[in-house]
Amino acid sequence: MRQRNWFLWTGALVLVLAFVLGVLPFVAQFPGQGALPWLDLLLSILAVVLVILGLRVAIRKPHRYRGKAMGWVFTAVSSLLLVFSCLAFYGARQIPRANAAPRVGQKAPDFELKDTSGRNISLAQLLAEPPTESQTGSRPKAVLLVFYRGYW
Amino acid sequence: MDAPEVSRHLAQKAGYSFTLLSDPDASVIRRYQLLHTRGGPEGSDISRPAEFLVDSSGTVRWTNFTEDIRVRARAAEMLAAAASIN
Repeated sequence: MRQRNWFLWTGALVLVLAFVLGVLPFVAQFPGQGALPWLDLLLSILAVVLVILGLRVAIRKPHRYRGKAMGWVFTAVSSLLLVFSCLAFYGARQIPRANAAPRVGQKAPDFELKDTSGRNISLAQLLAEPPTESQTGSRPKAVLLVFYRGYW
Repeated sequence: MDAPEVSRHLAQKAGYSFTLLSDPDASVIRRYQLLHTRGGPEGSDISRPAEFLVDSSGTVRWTNFTEDIRVRARAAEMLAAAASIN
């Protein structure tokens, strides 16, 4: 009797999940995303293991699972994705450490930069003046500085 | 690193009401020791991602330096950090 090769299908499912986890940090808004790239890597490895197990089963019992083509296809795809996940993981971490950046407890260096209407705005000013959207007109309790690259 | 005009377009498109500052020559990025040399498009210098919460005395109260450019501080964690300041 013909049987479904569960190793292969579970492997394929894990594969899709791994890919989703790899790109999820770009769109998801929930905190604690630091774990996602690690999960992506872990699931990519798991997918390859499952798919290879599935391929082995298909080769050993061809009468039960018939063709081995899917096994080879899944093995190729999952191996490629693992390579891709590893490269993405490595590439995404090629950023300089922020060891010399201001630490908690230190004074934030003051600066002056142009805003979107070309006005000069300093950090001291941001800390002292009520923000434009403020209803109460009171001084802000704090200022959040976000140095961003890319709009995610 | 975007020029003020580019940031203005972004703010209008996205509906941002917070202050969006431009650092086209990366001077403040350098002052905060966040420069990623040749990390940007076509080998340009760029800032590494970083977030600082500065209280009214000018003291840094909370920071976030991601190790993976895909992962950033999200609004919820930044608001939680801000809520802890009185």
